[in-house]
This record gives sequence, C-alpha cells and structure tokens, in this order.
Amino acid sequence: MSATKRNVRVFRYDPAVGGDGGFRDYTLEVENASAMTMLDVLLHIQREQDPTIAFRFACRVAMCGSCGMVINGRERLACKTNVSDLPPSEDITLRPMNHFPVIKDLVVDMDPMFNKFRETLSFFEPKEQLTEPARIAPDAPEREEIRLATDCIACGCCVSSCTMVDHHPDYAGPAALARAYALIADSRDGLFQERLAAALPSCHECRTETNCTEVCPKGISPTRAIKYIQRTALVQLEVTPKEAEVEETEAPPARWEVDRATFIRGAGVAVIGAAVAVTLGSVAAITTVGPTESAAAEEWVSVGRIADLPQGKVTTVLLNYEARSGIYSQTISKPVMISRLSDEIICYKTACPHLGCTVHFENQSDEFRCACHGGTFDRSGSVIAGPPPRALDRYRHKIEGDQLLVLI
Amino acid sequence: MSVTEDEAKPIQYRKHLRWGEHDPNRRANTPLGMWAWLWQRVSALLIVVLLVLHISLPYKLAIQFLLLLTVTFHATLGLRVILLDFNLVSIRHHRTLAWALPVVGLIAIFIVWRCIY
Ligand code: SF4
Ligand code: FES
Repeated sequence: MSATKRNVRVFRYDPAVGGDGGFRDYTLEVENASAMTMLDVLLHIQREQDPTIAFRFACRVAMCGSCGMVINGRERLACKTNVSDLPPSEDITLRPMNHFPVIKDLVVDMDPMFNKFRETLSFFEPKEQLTEPARIAPDAPEREEIRLATDCIACGCCVSSCTMVDHHPDYAGPAALARAYALIADSRDGLFQERLAAALPSCHECRTETNCTEVCPKGISPTRAIKYIQRTALVQLEVTPKEAEVEETEAPPARWEVDRATFIRGAGVAVIGAAVAVTLGSVAAITTVGPTESAAAEEWVSVGRIADLPQGKVTTVLLNYEARSGIYSQTISKPVMISRLSDEIICYKTACPHLGCTVHFENQSDEFRCACHGGTFDRSGSVIAGPPPRALDRYRHKIEGDQLLVLI
Repeated sequence: MSVTEDEAKPIQYRKHLRWGEHDPNRRANTPLGMWAWLWQRVSALLIVVLLVLHISLPYKLAIQFLLLLTVTFHATLGLRVILLDFNLVSIRHHRTLAWALPVVGLIAIFIVWRCIY
C-alpha cells in the first residue's frame, strides 16, 4: 500500500498562555490507514514534528478510558479509531472532549465527572446480611438486564456528547447515571433507596437525544439506563409523604358583578394569550439579544476591610473565588490593584490594555507600569507613555459596611 | 532566588468546550436522535404559531393542513420518547424509531386528509 499524505488538525491550548486555543495543522505520511490508530498519529507527530503536544493514553486497547477525545466531530477513543475509519476526503481533526475544563491541548480535567459519580453514590455498598460473595448466575434476569453496563471505562465520551450536561449544572450526566443504574439493578446492592433518590432528579434532565448511546465505545446505552432508573423509581421509590400545609382561607367578597363562568373563560383566554405572547416574545428576544452561555456570570467578591488599605497607596490584593460554568466549578485567583486616595477608591485590572501583560504600580514614580512594552499610566489610569490604546480597565466596586466589594 | 512573574502565574484551565465549538465536523456528524429531539422542539414552537393562526383565521384549509402535519410530526416524535421511556421498543432500534414513526404518521395523516377532502 502506498503512503498517503493526510492533513491532521490538532487542537492546542497552552495553560501558560491562556486564551481560547485553536487548531494547528500537521501533515503526516500514512503508510497503512487501517493499521494506524489516532494514537499512532499523535505519537508520530509528537516524536517527529512537535514534542509539545499533550494527550493521555495508557492501555492502547480500549480498556483504561484515558484517550477519549473528539475525532472528526464525534467522541471516540484514540486507541480504537483507525485512520481508515474517517472519510479520506476529510482532514483528521483531534480536539479535547466537551464539557470538561481543558488542562492542555487534548488533556481535560475529568474531576467534574467523578464528582458526579460521587453525588449519585455510584460505588458499591454491599447489603449487610451478606457474608459470602453473592453469586449471580450468567442467565439471571438481573445479569441480562445489566448487560454491558458494568463495562464502563469512565472515558467521558458520553458526557462530552450530551448537550444537556452543559445546560443543567445539577445534571449528573450519562456516565454517572449508567453506573448508578448498574448498581440499582444489582440485587447485592445495599443502597437501593438512597441511590434511587440520588439519581432520580438527574434523570429528568435527559431529553432522549441518544447521543451518549451513539458514542459509547463500550456499547453501553446510558439512555436506556436513565429510563430504567425512572421506571424503577415510579414503582419502588419510597416517598415520605409531606404534611399538606393547606390553610383555610375565606374567599374574598366579589368586588364587581360578573357571572363566574364568563370571568373564568375570559381569564383563561387572557392567560393563554399572555403566555403565548410572552413565550414567543421572550424566545425571540433571548435568541436575538440575550447573553450567550459563555458570558460568565458577574459576582461581587469581597476584597477585605477598607481600613486595611493604606491611605494614598496602591495595594494589590489577590482575590480567590469560585467560578461556576457548566457542570464544574473552578477556584480562580485574580489580582486587583486598589488605589486609595483620600475618599476616592479605584479598582484597576492588572491586565495591560495593550497585550494583556501584568501591570504593576511603582511607588517611586507614582505610576503604573507594564513591563512588556513600557506602557505607563498615571494614578487615574490614563496612558502617559507607551503603546496601550486606552486607560487601565477598572472593576466596579461598592462599599458595604467596612467591606470593599468588587464586581468580577 | 526570585520567582519571575510568569512562573508565579497560576495555571488557568480553559473553560470547557461546548458542542460544536472549535469542531468543524460536528454538525455533519449529528446523530439522528439529536435531530429527533431538536425537531420536536422546533415543531412545538411551530404548533404554537399555527394554533394562534388557526384560531384567528378559522376556515383556512392551508393552515389546518399545516397544523395537522406539524401536530402529527410532533406527536410521533413524542411517541418515540414514550416507547423508549417504557422500554416498549429496545434502545437498539432508537434510530429506526426516529425516522420511521414520523414517516408512518405523516403518510397516515396524508391518507386521512385525502379521504376527507
Ligand atoms: S458509559 Fe460508555 S461513553 Fe460513558 S463513560 Fe462509560 S464507557 Fe465511556
Ligand atoms: S489508551 Fe486506554 S482506552 Fe485508549
């Protein structure tokens, strides 16, 4: 077989540089397309062209679940996907999985998924009365029911493929629910009710997209697992009934004379009409002018006591706060430069408006300086010298009691 | 030894990628089940619009026909979810359900319409 040239596009993200990341193109000679996996492709590029590419793998035989990534628009294991599995007309496109924070290039942080495993109690807890290992016959109904679900390698492909994971932060996601299902269906399990209760609310977020079922490299169907949990809960979940808190209230006397049926009919039409109008109007408004999901929510973060900020000085404070996005949250540290002159407090961002280097304050000259290209700003943040196109950016701030808060 | 500013910088993870972001082949690879989900939502909105039209312009045949078509399409996709919910059809056939139910429903409604008008 003669060698063919394939264009390989690899998503690159460097945590030291930050930003959005993007594809870098490589060209590779492929000797035998049906014997070369994506892992081979990556290893070739790493050895021969670019040693800085980061990706994960261990077993090479679809057992460890570490090489999950998005290959040409679909979640797959790099070690199980051959070059010949992709149409020859397409570039080979390798990109990290969705819905996991990207650490570097193709390597993602899988913690959000494992936290979801924990929340749905997806670990085995044997029934107390069992002293001997319970034997489940290969043809037992539960064994047939669970089928492949115990084969999950926690690769995260299903979590990446499911768009609902991104829209519902509390959603446990397909992988955790497939695991919960395998345990709920297991007669040796000692946490039946607890697990059912923990998993059920998440199941309502499933919209039967079946993306997870399509991509699972182990042939598991998390969709089916989720439906199973819901059906089981329907008949077996023990609900502790809440005391109904209905208070007897006197009906208010009618103010004007309208016949009851007419009123209800009128009100009904009005409510439905208003609902339709509001629904359509807001859908249209949100899609045209609303903020996109990617815009991080702003929040007020406390800097500390105002009295601790020395008069006339510029103090740099490191803020630590939790940022939530999608199904995970991340602790972020952000420096803020706070200038305090008599009564005036200004909170500056440390990123230089030129190219984003870190700006610092120089006490001797009473100026802000950027070390990269010599941008210089005065006490009010205006540019004195250098290439910055505008004054230093500021955070909005407010004072509550003796505390200073900034809007991040 | 002093630490330079760059070394002191904390490692910033990139915010998670989203469906279709930096993903040129994603849309072409969208599986059928996802389309079934999306089209059911789209048809729901269409039904709201057509229903309003139908109520305000009662005897327009075209609107009636479109409404019937949209409702059938929406309902058959709903049937797909119900069948999977109750495991009445194995998940193995989920792709077949996603196209066959709407096709059968639309053909049936077409025949009914021809019989009436
Ligand atoms: S269910 Fe399948 S796709 Fe999801 S984590 Fe397990 S092996 Fe991977
Ligand atoms: S390297 Fe272990 S699953 Fe691919």
